[in-house]
Amino acid sequence: MWGMGLNANLVTVNNRTMRSVMLLVVPALLLLLALPATRGRYNDDFDDGEDLAEFDDNDFAEFEDVSEDQGTETETAPPPPRAAPSVPADEEDDDEATVETEDGQDEFYDGDTQDQDSYSKYDNEEFEGYETKTSPSFKDNTLILREVPAHLQNSWESYYMEILMVTGLLAYIMNYIIGKNKNSRLAQAWFNSHRELLESNFALVGDDGTNKEATSTGKLNQENEHIYNLWCSGRVCCEGMLIQLKFLKRQDLLNVLARMMRPVCDQVQIKVTLNEDDMDTFVFALGTKKAMARMQKEMQDLSEFCSDKPKSGAKYGVPEYLTILTEMGEVTDGLMDSKMVHYITNHAEKIESIHFSDQFSGPKVMQEDGQPLKLPDTKKTLLFTFNVPGMGNTSPKDMEQLLPLMNMVIYSVDKIKKLRLNREGKQKADKNRARVEENFLKQTHAQRQEAAQTRREEKKRAEKERIMSEEDPERQRRMEEASQRRDQKKLEKKQMKMKQIKVKAM
Amino acid sequence: MSINNMADPRRQNKIFRYKPPSTEANPTMEDPTPDYMNLLGMIFSMCGLMLKLKWCAWIAVYCSFISFANSRSSEDTKQMMSSFMLSISAVVMSYLQNPQPMSPPW
Repeated sequence: MWGMGLNANLVTVNNRTMRSVMLLVVPALLLLLALPATRGRYNDDFDDGEDLAEFDDNDFAEFEDVSEDQGTETETAPPPPRAAPSVPADEEDDDEATVETEDGQDEFYDGDTQDQDSYSKYDNEEFEGYETKTSPSFKDNTLILREVPAHLQNSWESYYMEILMVTGLLAYIMNYIIGKNKNSRLAQAWFNSHRELLESNFALVGDDGTNKEATSTGKLNQENEHIYNLWCSGRVCCEGMLIQLKFLKRQDLLNVLARMMRPVCDQVQIKVTLNEDDMDTFVFALGTKKAMARMQKEMQDLSEFCSDKPKSGAKYGVPEYLTILTEMGEVTDGLMDSKMVHYITNHAEKIESIHFSDQFSGPKVMQEDGQPLKLPDTKKTLLFTFNVPGMGNTSPKDMEQLLPLMNMVIYSVDKIKKLRLNREGKQKADKNRARVEENFLKQTHAQRQEAAQTRREEKKRAEKERIMSEEDPERQRRMEEASQRRDQKKLEKKQMKMKQIKVKAM
Repeated sequence: MSINNMADPRRQNKIFRYKPPSTEANPTMEDPTPDYMNLLGMIFSMCGLMLKLKWCAWIAVYCSFISFANSRSSEDTKQMMSSFMLSISAVVMSYLQNPQPMSPPW
């Protein structure tokens, strides 16, 4: 009857749940079967002596067995280590007891539970290295305090390194969250204070390039936890303006610690790209001495066009720690009008560098295979780098202080559009550019020749292949003749040229 | 002249769309920290797993955290997650194999 009832139950239960239950039961059974097996295997395997997880229940059993076999010497040994794991340290000082801590204890204990009768046999055969240590101790009636392996003690104190590590990780995570929030607040404060000015000057404020239509997103692009972008466009006199808020890596604890040694500033980098007719041809830079020295070495256009050493700005009325690099003196005179000088003087400590150039192509590119084959693309650009006041410890209120600098940027854009070199200046500028191009061509002359040679050879090879692949022998012959005629013509042309040159030379 | 100053400088028809800076220039200018930390994290976690060194595994966890904090938004989250998982598994495996606490080097 009971069997019938069970059958009914089985039938009514859903097949799927039965299957899942079976799936759970089978591994559980396997585990249960496996455990005793592993135990048995473990007992035989003394090499794996460090893993004493199975003996958590039998701690006392081990001690009791040992004391039974060895008499009274080790009777007092078990209780003290068990009762007060930290006490063995004190008892080591005890004169009566000889404390011996051995690494071979684990194997020692395994032997105890395994076979008490052949205890001495194990002692002699398996633990040769410890013979001298163990035998005298048992013979001399000394007190041996075994150190319980740290992971079997019921205290967390032994895991202090791990707790340290986890605390360090938690500190890192806390710093990440705090730093991220601070950077985000600073960016938002900057945008809030500049939003009005930007929206009154640009038709498009904020664009991440993904929308189908050109609508202002009205917010910053977050590139990183410490870099924010803003693209503005739609104005007279310029193509567009990219503003990058480069904050310090407040979200990275390592960086925070490194900054404690070496203070660095948050920076705001503004890059205004201009159309062809928005700017006359000149190169100009102004900034701190360090920045100018670095840029003169790094920047392609500054190194080519502004070869003089940076001159102090004191001549033009700006603080002396700002130096000027320029292609022509006329350019500086034209740019440094009273309003500009006023802007720069009032906010000199926030200016890192200002770079106006019609030949801007970025920093010098290091190519592995010699010089690049053609001049890098240039774009008329105005670059501004400003330091945020506060030297790292900025608060969101400080971001408002950058607003006058943005006014200066807008003013510069308008001014550059109106600034035109006079005839002499223009001639000089054109000469400079021609000179630079010529130098470049000379340097790459050999390379370009090689490139042209390889191209010619490629063409010839391609032609030959075409001829070869022609199935019809008639056409093959005709094509061969055609190519021969072409080569002949080329040769004649060359000879004519050589003759002409010779005649000219004469 | 003053009228020109008051005029709205905005020009709707002169809008250019935002083009993210070309990737060609980026590798030289970009911060290599997240990539280095990722690589270091993988190496340390492999060391920790193979040689059963606990401190290696812990350093691997730190490296993957640092790499995550410095990563760019365009970076693959799968890569981050995989390095996290690898380092955490290295720590867990080291402790399963040898539950003893880590001993300080001093």
